[in-house]
Amino acid sequence: MMLDIQNISLSLGGRRILQHVSLQAKAGELCVVMGANGAGKTTLLKVLAGEYRHYTGQIRLHGEQLQSFSVAEQAQRRAVLSQQVVLQLAFTVREVVQMGRFVHHAAPELDTAIVDYAMDTMQVADLAGRSWVTLSGGQQQRVHMARVLAQLLEKPQLEKSTAGKKMLLLDEPVTGMDIRHQQLALQLAKKLTEYGMLVIAVLHDFQLAAAYADQLIFLHQGGVHVAGSVQEVLTAPHIRHCFGIGVQVLVHPQCNHPIVIPAFAETSNLLYHGNNDLFSPVSMEQLPDSQPESTHP
Amino acid sequence: MALVTTPWQRRKEAGAVSVLLLVLIMVILAATGTGAMHISPLQVVAILLKKIHITLPVSYDPAMEGVLLMIRLPRVLLGVLTGAGLAVAGAAMQGLFRNPMADPGLIGISSGASVGAVLVLSLQLWVPALTGNGWLHYYGMNIAAFAAAFAAAWLIIRIARTANGSSVTMMLLGGIAVNALCAAFTGLLTYLSPNEQLRSIVFWMMGSLGAATWQTVLVVMPFILLPVVLLPRLAPAMNVFALGEREAQHSGVRVQSLKMQLMLLATLAVAAGVAVTGVIGFVGLVVPHMIRQFTGPSYRILFPCSALGGAILITLSDLLCRTIIAPAELPVGIVTAIIGAPFFIWLIMKEKKKLVL
Repeated sequence: MMLDIQNISLSLGGRRILQHVSLQAKAGELCVVMGANGAGKTTLLKVLAGEYRHYTGQIRLHGEQLQSFSVAEQAQRRAVLSQQVVLQLAFTVREVVQMGRFVHHAAPELDTAIVDYAMDTMQVADLAGRSWVTLSGGQQQRVHMARVLAQLLEKPQLEKSTAGKKMLLLDEPVTGMDIRHQQLALQLAKKLTEYGMLVIAVLHDFQLAAAYADQLIFLHQGGVHVAGSVQEVLTAPHIRHCFGIGVQVLVHPQCNHPIVIPAFAETSNLLYHGNNDLFSPVSMEQLPDSQPESTHP
Repeated sequence: MALVTTPWQRRKEAGAVSVLLLVLIMVILAATGTGAMHISPLQVVAILLKKIHITLPVSYDPAMEGVLLMIRLPRVLLGVLTGAGLAVAGAAMQGLFRNPMADPGLIGISSGASVGAVLVLSLQLWVPALTGNGWLHYYGMNIAAFAAAFAAAWLIIRIARTANGSSVTMMLLGGIAVNALCAAFTGLLTYLSPNEQLRSIVFWMMGSLGAATWQTVLVVMPFILLPVVLLPRLAPAMNVFALGEREAQHSGVRVQSLKMQLMLLATLAVAAGVAVTGVIGFVGLVVPHMIRQFTGPSYRILFPCSALGGAILITLSDLLCRTIIAPAELPVGIVTAIIGAPFFIWLIMKEKKKLVL
């Protein structure tokens, strides 16, 4: 087992964010973590990225305690793509991708070859000389995927020899990407798993999850509600439990994975009767009167 | 660390450094030659080469040798050192706070250093060992300035830190607060000082290279050369750090260690300069920004170019200061502020759209 999470819990600022999370993932798996906002997805990913060290329980990566790895050792084994990366300085695309090579003590020629390969793969090679700040949000995200790919590679090609050694953590990697590049990003993730890497991705899109996940994990209130294959996990009862919304899970004849659509009869009045009662009719009436007061002289 | 460079990048770096080095040498020749006694650049070269026993067929007045070696050269070299120190400190602070508005003067590190320096000046009344031109005097000033500057830097970092990384607004507001606090302390010490101390304290407020001797140059040199040499070694990590603290850690940067090294080296350079020249503002803001326009933001090239650019700027500013109302002279801090403050305003206007204040 490449990644073995045993019963971890974590509190931040006095609040329990993760409780008793246990998960196992094999090399070559694409694990998708899903859950409602605040379910602990991002926190779980941060723990795996080595950002929080004060969790209880055990995380073993390649059989060794995660905490026993130094920052550099972790960076040589896993890469992380976060949600929002703010870069104010006008680095070129090539320079940003090169940053992925920081932790490797490789020859400059090898680094350059890997950077070129990563840019080609993420289809940003034509932007190599462009300034980062002039890119669109989706382009920036692709450049970051190229950077992360450059961090994972040891040769300018995908190869089986690194199987079981590398882990990629993706936190909502497709945010802001158009539909074609969403598929491209997930196809890359899938491709990496074919070469024996472990990919753990937080996604919000059921269709992408259904199409690409080898293991699907639903988090609910800081714990694992269910984990397993897409067929086992992506069911209407599980989705209702974790997301508080009724759905229909359909099978499309030309598509070998389930399709999730909201059950419209139930969701049309979500504003009034859903989990979120902020906009209940009562509180609407209690909103302060915005009419100008005419009693003032 | 992996230093990924393409041959084109390396050529560009070498080109930028050589151009700036050439400009600096010309500026030094012009500055050492200009003053009440004019010495032509050729004569300057001839006098300097004679020190290493190379005789050029250039005639010069023997008095020139004394003026050049004892008065002009130490002053110009002190300007070169403090300018280089302030500029690399500015670049380091901009890297540390991940925004181009960080400047040792604006965020209170320079004024922190001046509190330390003025404190030592005031103590001279009671501690005779600190007086005069003794080494203890200079090192005492250096150490006190460094300690106070480091405290100021630490405070600013604490103030600027938010849940989402360091905030520009908090950094600048913190800078106002630290500057106000330091001004209050220096004001208090000034008020308590007798007349003879007052003159040297006022001199600190303005920033001037007038105190330059070979001794001050030698005292300052190691504390500025150390950051100038060591900071470029942090450049690859700083480039990654520009992505953010979390991303840097994910990429293998030891973030806390990097931040501590940046803070130590930047305050070292600033404090050494302030201890002998007083507060010279805006160099750390203007120079790295101008360099970035030509070289791009990579710290690999920004540090050496900023060092050279800062040296050029201070040398030229000081030349202006001592010629414009000769035989009197202006404090060099006034000139850098006249250049730097409008630049800062322009930078604020330019960044206004991008910044989330």
